[in-house]
Amino acid sequence: MRSYGIYVLTRFAQFLLVVFIGISLTFFITHLSPIDPVEQMIAGMTAMGQSDPEAVSLMRTALQELYGTGGPLIEQYFTYWGRILSADFGPSLSSFPTPVSVLIGRALPWTIGLLATCTVISWVFGNLLGGLAGYFRENRMLKLAGVIIMGFHPVPYYIIAFVLLIIFGLMWPILPTSGGAAANLPRGWNAEYLISVLRHSILPAASIILVGLGGWFMGMRALVSNVITEDYVTYAELGGVKRSRILPFYVIRNALVPQVTGLAMSLGAIFNGAIIVEFVFSYPGLGRLLISAVYAGDYGLVLGVTTISIVAVSAAVFLIDILYPVFDPRVKLA
Amino acid sequence: MVKANGKAGNGPVPAEPILSVRNLRAYYQMQYFGIDREVRAVDDITLQVNRNEIYGVAGESSCGKTSLIKTIAAANRPPLNVIGGSVKYSFLDRDIFRMSEEELSRVRWKHLSYIMQGSMNVLNPVRRIRKSFIDFAFRHINKPEREFFDIVARHLERLRLSPSVLKAYPHELSGGMRQRVTIALATICRPEFIIADEPTTALDVVVQKDVLAMIREVQQEMGSSILFVTHDMTVHANMADRLGIMYAGRLVEEAPTREIFANPLHPYTAHLIQSLPRIGDLSPKKALPGAPPNLSDPPAGCRFHPRCPLAMDICRRENPALTALRPGHRVACFAASSEVRPVSEIRETVPPKVAEARS
Repeated sequence: MRSYGIYVLTRFAQFLLVVFIGISLTFFITHLSPIDPVEQMIAGMTAMGQSDPEAVSLMRTALQELYGTGGPLIEQYFTYWGRILSADFGPSLSSFPTPVSVLIGRALPWTIGLLATCTVISWVFGNLLGGLAGYFRENRMLKLAGVIIMGFHPVPYYIIAFVLLIIFGLMWPILPTSGGAAANLPRGWNAEYLISVLRHSILPAASIILVGLGGWFMGMRALVSNVITEDYVTYAELGGVKRSRILPFYVIRNALVPQVTGLAMSLGAIFNGAIIVEFVFSYPGLGRLLISAVYAGDYGLVLGVTTISIVAVSAAVFLIDILYPVFDPRVKLA
Repeated sequence: MVKANGKAGNGPVPAEPILSVRNLRAYYQMQYFGIDREVRAVDDITLQVNRNEIYGVAGESSCGKTSLIKTIAAANRPPLNVIGGSVKYSFLDRDIFRMSEEELSRVRWKHLSYIMQGSMNVLNPVRRIRKSFIDFAFRHINKPEREFFDIVARHLERLRLSPSVLKAYPHELSGGMRQRVTIALATICRPEFIIADEPTTALDVVVQKDVLAMIREVQQEMGSSILFVTHDMTVHANMADRLGIMYAGRLVEEAPTREIFANPLHPYTAHLIQSLPRIGDLSPKKALPGAPPNLSDPPAGCRFHPRCPLAMDICRRENPALTALRPGHRVACFAASSEVRPVSEIRETVPPKVAEARS
């Protein structure tokens, strides 16, 4: 148990280091670039005709204060860290003066709700079907399922998104095609609102799941066909161990180890948002926020989204690292 | 050192067969780009294993030993298919190939268990040893869980393992311990018949000696029969009551162990035994010229003829049948059958002290 404590501590130190390096890199990359958001904003305003030098200088100081871009680089760097640690990324440029953290906080639940659910659903079903298809290789239904899933897999998901949009939004309009929920409904934890959220999420979710399923399916099927040739599976079969025991505890259990890592990585990656799907379905998530922030040159917002994504991906890796001994007892020795 | 079983060769033992294999053929049938390819790994093998006997199968690598015993255990999976013949156990009412998967799983481990090749790596790496015991043996030993583990613990002690191994994962045990765990696993249900495929090949000689002694001990205590497969003739000398020699998918000679070491009739067996090191014998060992035949295209007639110093014309045309030249000694060789040596000569030959040679 003590060695496990040390293991967790070293992994946690690694996690902090990765986050530190990642955030520092985003800082230096953005701050060393010639684009200065304050100057851009001032240029935008003075282009309107107003150019009282004193007012401009006052405005510059005020804006630099807001964005933390005053003073030498190293001083900015420390201010930047101070702001990140208090989760304050300054006001958004494009929706001035709403703070970046509020914008992100608004978009985050949508993205997490949609993508985490989709990722988990496609992981569970992909692995289940892939595991069965790898184990019962002669089963016709599973072969058919494999062909269908593999048929969807290479199609880019925005194509599927558009096809779904055309079918269910245009030809047979039974599902809403844009937004996160009906606009006229007040937010709240009531049945009506939640059903509306669910209905709005069906099409984007379907396009993500249909495509995502294939990767897990293929991976699991390949892993299982490998595992079933392992000695311990042959041995269990020779021992007359029931198939209902061999499949979950000998085959799936061993094949699942790398898939769990994969799940953690994709769960970490959802904080980037599913940019295209969110855009196609006008889903109010992080992906759409990021796209509009980039278009608007909204410096603080881009930094905020990137930071969250860095922390989330590294946290996922850290979590999976400390949970790994549960899935694979051999890791304890590492 | 385990001593060679004294029973061997001491006159006729009332032979009560527990396993009889008749004309067994099992081929690997594969297709590459539409071309059928057949590897005749088990070709027309007939043998019988008696109760309370250790029957050794010897032969060089890729002669079909493992394919043979996999087929005998009905554990062959495509592309290894049974082409013909029968495998009958005294505890089964019919041919093992006529039994459903369901019926077989009731027999496995209770009557027929298996120590697999490379058995250091046959334990599920993510499952504790106690779970493996539950998976393999619990349904056969009709006892509540606590009593079951009492039995397991006592059995482990017999193999000089502490009951604490039950809590371990396989990777936490040493190779020799894992080996003993698989032997414990294979013998916990006191099966009548145990198939052991190279159970000690991966172990160093010291551990090997212990493990062999334990297998022998457990076998004698339970009165089981063992079909013991290894390419290591010295292990056979110590373990087997009777020995079958395989060459290129066929059984070429079969006799009580002592007899076969003293008086090998097949030229291949003779070479095999001659190649064993002996104390005081400093002469360089000669290798048999040539290589074992490709089993997908075996030579016509006797499969050994291209390498055989005694090959005659008939050897190239016809396949010699396994015939009993002396009581309990069968051999498949035209040269041997044409000039069987007198019994007196056999008695004079000193059996090789293989046990000493090993140390």
